[in-house]
Amino acid sequence: MLSERMQREALSKCIVWFYDGNVRTFYSLDKTHKRAKPNQALGIRRLEKMLLETFKGQWETAIVYENKPHGNELAKFKKGARV
Amino acid sequence: MKKTTNHKLHFDYGRVFQNTKSFIDLHNSRQTKLTQKLNANHRATAELIVRLYLKQLNKAAQLDQLDTKSLPGFNTYNESLAKCKGCTKRTIINHRERLVNARFIIKENHCGQGGVEIWLNPEVLGMAKLSTTCGDNVMKIGEVASLFYEKAKNFHHLVHEQQEQENNNSNVGKSVTTEKDHDQEYGVLPHRRDHKSGKATGTGHEQDKNTEENANPASKQQEQLPENQLKVEKQEQVAAGVGRIFLLSLIRQLWAYVRKVLYPDLIFSDPEECEILNLIWESVYGKLQWNASEKEWLNYQETAYSRINMVARWLARSPGHWIPKPHIYFHPNNERNGFKKTWQWYVKQETLKIEIRNQLLLQQAKAEWQQHGQNKEWFRQKTRLQLFRIQQKRLANFRDESLMQAYEQCLQRCLQLQNLKRKQSAHAQ
Repeated sequence: MLSERMQREALSKCIVWFYDGNVRTFYSLDKTHKRAKPNQALGIRRLEKMLLETFKGQWETAIVYENKPHGNELAKFKKGARV
Repeated sequence: MKKTTNHKLHFDYGRVFQNTKSFIDLHNSRQTKLTQKLNANHRATAELIVRLYLKQLNKAAQLDQLDTKSLPGFNTYNESLAKCKGCTKRTIINHRERLVNARFIIKENHCGQGGVEIWLNPEVLGMAKLSTTCGDNVMKIGEVASLFYEKAKNFHHLVHEQQEQENNNSNVGKSVTTEKDHDQEYGVLPHRRDHKSGKATGTGHEQDKNTEENANPASKQQEQLPENQLKVEKQEQVAAGVGRIFLLSLIRQLWAYVRKVLYPDLIFSDPEECEILNLIWESVYGKLQWNASEKEWLNYQETAYSRINMVARWLARSPGHWIPKPHIYFHPNNERNGFKKTWQWYVKQETLKIEIRNQLLLQQAKAEWQQHGQNKEWFRQKTRLQLFRIQQKRLANFRDESLMQAYEQCLQRCLQLQNLKRKQSAHAQ
């Protein structure tokens, strides 16, 4: 679980609907090191890796949004594939 | 260069030293890694070897007849070279290794207590054989590209040049830079531009921490320019050099093509695409730093397309062939399996094409001389000089020095053959 500050500073977030009925929100880690410039693409890639490797076969839908109020949809995953 | 006076060989020090210098310069210009280049110290060792070798050769030539095709090697000892140069034995061994890698030394023979025997490259001694591919092919293929790929850290000059210390953070003597200047300086894509202007130590471009907007009102106005004004700006830029918009459109076109040909199944979000475009801008287009004309950039674009086609063909050839995802494939630091490597393929392909073209031209010239000798076709009415002029003019159009050299060699052979045939026929009669 990320700290509140890190959740606030994350550039993107991912909402995952699991098969068991759970819905969880994950926040991206956009920096390669503590003082690095945040890289949103890196964060999205890390979320994608999490979905396709760590939680493989456990979720039905996952959507990546910009981490701000009314943020745009960046990527969408359905049943293990990006759509 | 060798001179034959009274049938004795003599090597001119000046010419050989010039050859040495040009050989090392050419080698350095072709290498991208610092560890493969020859620095001033290696140069000094090479020159020492050349000087002592020439001394040995000239002495030997006075005593005995030397065959230019099989010159004796340079007999020396590591210790004596080290003493001459004022360094350790190990340094000499290291330098020799580097010179062997650079093909300056072509062969070494270690004789234990008898020292080392070294053979230098015949190019250095001025006895290199001529081939149709000598010269720098990279330069022939495309100047823009060669500039990107030969980029490596330059060596310091032997003499220190006093330079004024520049303080980039200072505002002294500078007017507040407009965004246009700033962009031209970095040549960045819109996404990157935001980050650049948000540098903590920037001049007048501090970002507002909450809104993430540029604090400079002038640049904000620039961002909201109407289309007409943008067009005018573009025209101004085109007048000054090649417009940045034009160059950025080249990058976008290349990415669109790459996506279509190499990554048809992948889906990318906007931030990911921006990152990839920035990587292409850096690794493929060398940050658009070279001040080339529009035509040269278009030529370079064509080479980039053909490189992508080569990759696509390579991928189709075998299911075992693969390329990494675009953010890795176009990363400027990816030396292992990046797009940069295709440049070597491209050079190889183009070199081969040039060589084949040259061989065909030479074959044609040879056939014409043979037909001229047999008084066939339209050559009957031409003199030898006229035929030579026609061929010379035709070959000069290609602007290839090595081709002209090869042509001269071919011509000499043809004429020698003709003379021999005449002599033989005269002898038979």
